[in-house]
Amino acid sequence: MRFLPLIWSGIWRKPGRTNLIFLQVSVAFALFGVLQGLKTGVEHVIGDARADLLLVHSSLNVLDDSLPLGLFEGIKSVPGVKVVAPVELFRAIYQNPSQKLGIVAIRPDEGWLSAFTFTIAPDYVAALRSTRTGTIIKEGLAKEYGWKIGDHIPLMTTTKQMNGSTDWAFDVVGTYTDSDVGGGTETLLINYAYFDEARFAGKGTVQHFNVAVSDPKLAVNVADEIDRRFANSANATQTDSLRELAQSQLQAIGDLNFLIRAIVSVVLLALLFATATMMMQSLRERTPELAVLKTLGFSDRAVFLLILAEAMVVFVAGAACGLALALSVFPFASKIVPGLSMPLVVVAFGVICAVLVAAISASLPAVLAARLNIATALARR
Amino acid sequence: MHFTRQFLSILLMNLSGIRQRAAQVLTIIFGVACAVGVLVSMLAMGAGARRQEVADVRADHATLITSGARYRQSNISRDEVAAILGLPGIQKGTAGEPIVVFESMVPIEGRRRVTGNRIYFPLIGITSTVTQYQQMRFTDGRMFKPGVHELIASSPCLRQFSGFEIGDRRPIHGSDWVIVGHFEQGKAQQCVVYADVDNIMSIFSRNSYSAVSVRLRSPADFVAFRDAVSANPALQLEARRESEVAEEGFKELNAILNFVSYFVGTIMAIGATLGAVNSLYAIVDSRRTELATMRAIGFSSGAIVLSVLVESILWAFPGALLGGALAWLFFNGLSASPFGFSFQLAVTPSLVVLGIVWALGMGLAGGLLPALRAARVPVATALRAT
Repeated sequence: MRFLPLIWSGIWRKPGRTNLIFLQVSVAFALFGVLQGLKTGVEHVIGDARADLLLVHSSLNVLDDSLPLGLFEGIKSVPGVKVVAPVELFRAIYQNPSQKLGIVAIRPDEGWLSAFTFTIAPDYVAALRSTRTGTIIKEGLAKEYGWKIGDHIPLMTTTKQMNGSTDWAFDVVGTYTDSDVGGGTETLLINYAYFDEARFAGKGTVQHFNVAVSDPKLAVNVADEIDRRFANSANATQTDSLRELAQSQLQAIGDLNFLIRAIVSVVLLALLFATATMMMQSLRERTPELAVLKTLGFSDRAVFLLILAEAMVVFVAGAACGLALALSVFPFASKIVPGLSMPLVVVAFGVICAVLVAAISASLPAVLAARLNIATALARR
Repeated sequence: MHFTRQFLSILLMNLSGIRQRAAQVLTIIFGVACAVGVLVSMLAMGAGARRQEVADVRADHATLITSGARYRQSNISRDEVAAILGLPGIQKGTAGEPIVVFESMVPIEGRRRVTGNRIYFPLIGITSTVTQYQQMRFTDGRMFKPGVHELIASSPCLRQFSGFEIGDRRPIHGSDWVIVGHFEQGKAQQCVVYADVDNIMSIFSRNSYSAVSVRLRSPADFVAFRDAVSANPALQLEARRESEVAEEGFKELNAILNFVSYFVGTIMAIGATLGAVNSLYAIVDSRRTELATMRAIGFSSGAIVLSVLVESILWAFPGALLGGALAWLFFNGLSASPFGFSFQLAVTPSLVVLGIVWALGMGLAGGLLPALRAARVPVATALRAT
C-alpha cells in the first residue's frame, strides 16, 4: 500500500507519454471489444437458441408461407412430439405508420407454453383463455405506449375482417417476456380461434407450427420424420429447430470468425510491440532514478514489481476505458443482429489480455531494472 | 534555397541517427504495417467479390427483368416467351435457335461438407441453351436430359457440400433426383445446381420464369434490343446489360464490406498514429541538444518542423509497403464466403496504393505534434541539460 504514491508518480513521470500509451491501449481494446464481442455474442445467441423447439414451415412457398391447420393431428402423431402449437402472424400499426407491431395468434391449449420461448404468468394465460379479444403484450410495449391491463387497443392492419373492416381491437389482459432472439420486440399475442373466425380470407391456415419435443436429443429425428411424413403431399414441410434458424441467420457473421481472430491478434501484437519499445525507452531514461531507489534499500524484487505495477495500472485502466467504449457502441450492433449483447465474458477476457500484454511488454524492462547494478547505473549519470 | 539547405541538413542528421533509435523507428513501421495490412486485407474482400462478380460478364449479354424487380426475382410469364424469342438482335445458336436462357429458381437445402450445417442454395431450372449462352466446361458426367429428374452441379458444390457426387440422389419435392454431371462456369465460386426448367416449373407448379438472359449478336445490338422490348406492349419487361445487373447485385455486399473495412481500418489507423506520435516524441526528445544547437546557430523553426514531418512520413512509407506485402502474401487468392457469397480475396495494386496514401496520412498526423515540439525546444534549457 505504501508503494502506491511511488507507482503513481512513476506513471506520471512523463504525462504525455503515459497519456498516449493509455489512449493506444484504449483504442486497441475498443476494437477488441467490438470484434470479440460480436463473435462471442453471435455464438451465445446461437447457443442460447433452443434446439428442442421446432418450427414447421411450408417448404414450397417461400414468399407466401402458409400451411393448413389440418396438419395439426399429423404432426402431433409423430413419435417424440410433445406439444404442437399453431401460429399465425400478421402485421399491424398503432396510430401512425411508424409504430409497427407484430401480432402472433396462438391457441392457449393445454401445455402450449412449452412450445414457445415466452414467459407468462399463469393468471394472464387464464385471462387470455377467457377473453376472446384478449391480448398479452410484450413488456417493452407496455412501457413504450403506456398500455396497462384492461386497456382497449385499436390497431390498423391489412387483414380484412368478416365485416369488411381492416381495423382490429384487442383488450390487454397481461404482459410477457420472450427469451428468443428472433422474436422481435414489438409483438402481442392474441387468440387464434377468435382471429381465425373473424378474418375474411385465409381461414384455417397458419404461418407455421411450433413443436416441442419430449427429448431434446431426438429433435433432429423428429424434424426429419415430420418432413418425411408430408414430403409427397401438397403441403410439404420444412422443419428446423430455433437453433438451426438462428445459425443460418447468423451464418454470415460466423463466416467472418477467421478474420476477426486475425485482426484481434494483429491489434494485440502491434500494441505489444509499441508499448514494449516505449517501456524500454522509459527504463533507459529512468536508470539513475531506479539506482537511487535501490541505494535507499529497495530490493530487486520491489523494483521489479514497481515497474510491472506501473504498466499494469496503465493497461488495465486503458483496457477498461476501451471496453467501456465498445460496450457503449454495442447497442448499434444489436440493430444488425437482433438480441445481440456483449457478453461480460468478453470484458473479462479483455482484461486478462490487457494484463498479459502489460506483463509481457513490461517484463524485460522490469527484469533489467531489478538486475540494475547501482554503481554502474549511478556512474552513468 | 537557404530554407531547403537547412531542411535537408536537419533531415540528414535525423536519418543518420536511425541506429540509436532503431526501436522507435521499428515501432512506427510495425504499427503502420499492421494498420495498413488489416485495411488492405479487408478491402481485398470487397475487391475480390467485385472481381468475381464482373469476371464472367460479357458485353453481348443482356437480361430481361420485370420492371422494378431484382435479377432472378422477376415474374416473366410463359405467355411472353414467343414475343421474347422474336426480339431483334439475338444471336442464333448452332441449330439456328435463338440463344435465350429461361430460368426458374427455387431454394433447396444442402448440408455443409465440413460442419454438416444446413444451408440453402439455389436450384435453377434452366433451358438447355445455357451451354451456348455461357462457357460451361463439364469436368465430369454430362448435361441433364430434359423431362427426367436429373441435376448437374457446379464444382464448388462438390467442394462445399455433401451429396453432390455423380450418381448421388437428392430428394426434392418428394422424388429422387440424380446428379449426372459436374461443370465449371467461368470463374464462378458459387454453388449452382441446374435442372430442366420445364420439369422444375411443373413440379413446383410455377407459371413464370424468374429470369431471362439473352446473347446478342454484338454489344452494339443492345440499344435496338432494349428499344424493341420497351416498344412491345405484350412485354412488361425491361432490358438491362449484364454488367449493370452484376453491379447492382453486388452493391449491397460491397457497402457492408467497405463499411466494416473502413471502420476497423480507421480505428487501427488511430492506434498506429498514437504509437507514431509517442515514438516521434521520444525521438525528438533524444535530440533536444542537437535541435537546440541548430536553433542557436540560426536554423529556422520552419525547417525543423518540416524535417520532422518528412521523417515521420519516411518511416510510415516502408510500413505501408510491408503491410501491403503481408496482406498480399497471406490473403491474396484466399477463398472466403461471408454473407453467403463465395469469392477469392484480391489484393489489387490500387488497394496497395490506397494503403500507402492511408499510411502517409498516419505519418503526417503522427508527426505534427512532435514536429511542433521540436521547433519549440527552449534553446537555453536544452543546452544546459547536458
